[in-house]
Amino acid sequence: MIEFERVSIALGDFQLDEVSLSIRDDDYYFIMGPSGAGKTIILEAISGLLVPDSGRILLDGHDVSGIQPEKRKIGLVYQDYSLFPHMTVEKNIAFGMRMRRLPEAEIGKQVRQLMKQFGITPLAQRAPLTLSGGEQQRVAIARALAIEPELLLLDEPLAALDPITRDQFIEELRLLHRDDGLTIVHVTHDRRDAASLGTRMAMIIDGRLIQEDRVETIFSSPCREQVARFIGYENILKGKVVSCDDGLCIVDLGKNRVSVVADAHYGDNVVLCMRADDITVLLSDGRGTSARNTFKGTIVKKTVCGSLATITVDIGVEVTAAVTRKSAEELGLESGVPVCLSFKASAIHVIKEPVSDEHSAKNHRFKAL
Amino acid sequence: MAGTGGKRRWIHVTGNTGQLDWCLISFAIIGGMLVLLPLLALINITLGQLEDIPFLIEIATQTQVVDSILLTFGAGLVAVIILVIFGTPLSYVLARTESRLNQVVESLIDLPLVLPHTVAGLMVYILFMQRGLIGVPLKNMGIVFEDAFPGIVVAMLFVAMPFYVNSVREGFQKVPVHLENVARTLGATRFRAFCLIVLPSSIRHIFNGCILAWGRAISEFAAIIMIAYYPMVISTLIYYRFTTGGIKESSAVAFVMIAACLIVFLALRSFTRYLGRYDDRV
Repeated sequence: MIEFERVSIALGDFQLDEVSLSIRDDDYYFIMGPSGAGKTIILEAISGLLVPDSGRILLDGHDVSGIQPEKRKIGLVYQDYSLFPHMTVEKNIAFGMRMRRLPEAEIGKQVRQLMKQFGITPLAQRAPLTLSGGEQQRVAIARALAIEPELLLLDEPLAALDPITRDQFIEELRLLHRDDGLTIVHVTHDRRDAASLGTRMAMIIDGRLIQEDRVETIFSSPCREQVARFIGYENILKGKVVSCDDGLCIVDLGKNRVSVVADAHYGDNVVLCMRADDITVLLSDGRGTSARNTFKGTIVKKTVCGSLATITVDIGVEVTAAVTRKSAEELGLESGVPVCLSFKASAIHVIKEPVSDEHSAKNHRFKAL
Repeated sequence: MAGTGGKRRWIHVTGNTGQLDWCLISFAIIGGMLVLLPLLALINITLGQLEDIPFLIEIATQTQVVDSILLTFGAGLVAVIILVIFGTPLSYVLARTESRLNQVVESLIDLPLVLPHTVAGLMVYILFMQRGLIGVPLKNMGIVFEDAFPGIVVAMLFVAMPFYVNSVREGFQKVPVHLENVARTLGATRFRAFCLIVLPSSIRHIFNGCILAWGRAISEFAAIIMIAYYPMVISTLIYYRFTTGGIKESSAVAFVMIAACLIVFLALRSFTRYLGRYDDRV
């Protein structure tokens, strides 16, 4: 169990600002955010390479500020793998055990076991710089696991891998977490990684914790517009609540009004987030739909991607809808075609917009606590 | 070299398309002018010496000449050893920290690069002479610098310092901090990470720094004669022979020195090829 209590670290121009989070022993914990948000700094702080300027880092309830990284038993794998270039694969993996002065026979046994587990036995005598990205990644993880860490920190481990190696790797990481019971903290800017592996996650933007929760919760209920954008909501619309009745609100988008299910009040400025695949598309002369929101508009853009097509429809504001390519062809959905869009009131996630930026920062700091 | 199977040719001006690369050719012609200078000088002095080989052999076997070369090489080696002991930790600190103090230290280290060597010699002399700030306490301990081996070594140390420190600092900076960080999470203390990861990864830069510093040390003249005219290092001896025995005698001594240097440097350079080869492809 790792807890950050209002941890701040200044590094050059960058500032990690009062981040509080907690990583539980059974977590596959994701730290997500755009490049330069301070994700790697969090990993380095956990491993003890960076010391907080203020705030505390607790490991199983104990403050670890005074404990050097070499005493922490935390495995760290950087994005660039950072294999020692002057040592063979075998020696790289053995390094941690040598530092702990284990007997040579024991080291040899463990190294062979790890190389077998990661399928890198044939590479034992190779120099790291002659290996492919996927191979280097395996060696780096085997090296980190050789010290039998209580916690494994991974910095963008999948970013540099080709799609096939990547999929294999996702499976291997899943097994490490599930079968070996290893706590893993995984830094990424790719929402697919978090969606397929994570149990809980933190969104870090500009050195601040924006949201920490279960992965599914963050994906279905982002607390802020930035988070919604980051986790891939295709439609993010701003509006104002003009009436509210028993949880069903009418939001004015300027030229249109939509009905949403939300806990909001009259006069609230809100951001509406909609998944493209939650939008139903009808021909513009089609009549009769049970969905509460139905709009007439004209297709302005169509993009085909695999078996799916996304069409952008101007209904006063532009919204993006996903349909199967087949139905797009059958209905003749092309730019310029008039269509009707409908979507369910429940398909829309509503974020209350803060009154001002300063106010919102305060709010979130409290939330982070 | 792409497409040629990596085979080394003496001159390579055709590029990948097989056509003459006029840019490279004209650059080679212009640059060649510069190479002509040392080449001509070398041929000139060699031809002069080959006219009277018995005289050359006589000079080369003189005890004074042999002793002087050994003294120069030896003092240079001692200066380099001192540089390795003190300069390596300094270079690491400079490579791994960022502060205003670093700039001050770096300018101090670089001072001998921009100073006239007579000035450098004078500064060393005033500091280490028997009445000097450092000279006095060391004299009490029985170490005298004026006209003595230690004097030659400090003068060499002073002028060679920037060459070693700059080269090694650059080497340390090229070792990614991530490597050290990982080593530490694997259980290495900062010192062990330095010894086991940083040092081996920058062995080439350290060795190059040693060669540069040694080369600079043995070629010093002005700074050395200020503090130690005797025992004569090779530069002093050549100057002495030039003023007393004339061109023929001094150029013979010079030629012996050229030959000795060439042999030593070629040997050292070929040794570097086998050093730290793993970083070739980085």
